[in-house]
Amino acid sequence: MQTSPTEESLTELVGHQFASGHYRIEHWENWLLTQCTGREPMPDGLVHPVALFHVPIAGVGTSITELFQLCGAEGAGSVGLESYDWEYFGPLREDIEYRMAGSIAEVERIVADGGAVVDRVAFRIEMFDGSELVARVTNRWLFRRVA
Amino acid sequence: MIVRVGDEIPPWAMASVDPARMRTMAAILRDPYPVHWDADANAAFGLGGRVINQGPLNLSYIVNMLMAWAGPSCVRRLTVSFGRPVLDGEAVTAMGRVTALIDHPEGPRAQCDVWLDLDGLGVVTGAALVALEPTSLR
Repeated sequence: MQTSPTEESLTELVGHQFASGHYRIEHWENWLLTQCTGREPMPDGLVHPVALFHVPIAGVGTSITELFQLCGAEGAGSVGLESYDWEYFGPLREDIEYRMAGSIAEVERIVADGGAVVDRVAFRIEMFDGSELVARVTNRWLFRRVA
Repeated sequence: MIVRVGDEIPPWAMASVDPARMRTMAAILRDPYPVHWDADANAAFGLGGRVINQGPLNLSYIVNMLMAWAGPSCVRRLTVSFGRPVLDGEAVTAMGRVTALIDHPEGPRAQCDVWLDLDGLGVVTGAALVALEPTSLR
């Protein structure tokens, strides 16, 4: 467990660049992912659109664990999803080497009337096939701080 | 399929959220947090031996509804917020409604309100932009 980050240190996260990297979605991974969603396998090498959660994170060489550490998470129960904004500029396909780049886009500290502190952190990652932008994700997480 | 503003998208139901699928999903996502796979570890959160479905899986039911309606490559944008967690064994239904039709250079689009219903509560709510077949607006 980490101590709560200061508001200043959180603000300094804005603009933090993830390492650029690559990710290839293989058939077995897409098949298992799709099975978890409860539908039949995707046709014609198409990737299930919900892959836009984990593929960009892995593609920039980070992980859920590292993201939570970066934002000073204070235990699994202290982190919650707020929102996703996922844009698809074309269908995602298996066995394509996608390139990814991204950063921490926004940070906001919210103090409720009762004094409870929650930090909202958004990261944005773009996904390319060659030079063509194929998807962009903006995910917002909430980090509840111990008083 | 002819699409009009106000059309209801055929619902997509998950009759019982399956903890086995959550375990597989945790491995795919490389998500080490036990709230999704270790019911005993969740006692401290007052979940009574339950596990929490991953947010992406909750969203996937909405995506499955859209793909069943407009085809497997139809999704162009998802903008959603998350509410109450969904626990193993709960029944949820993805629902949606067309709110606008857009004449896009690459083909018609439908703007839709979408939500995941749990006993009348929207546990995921938001909007989707969906690519339609060129003949959908006739």
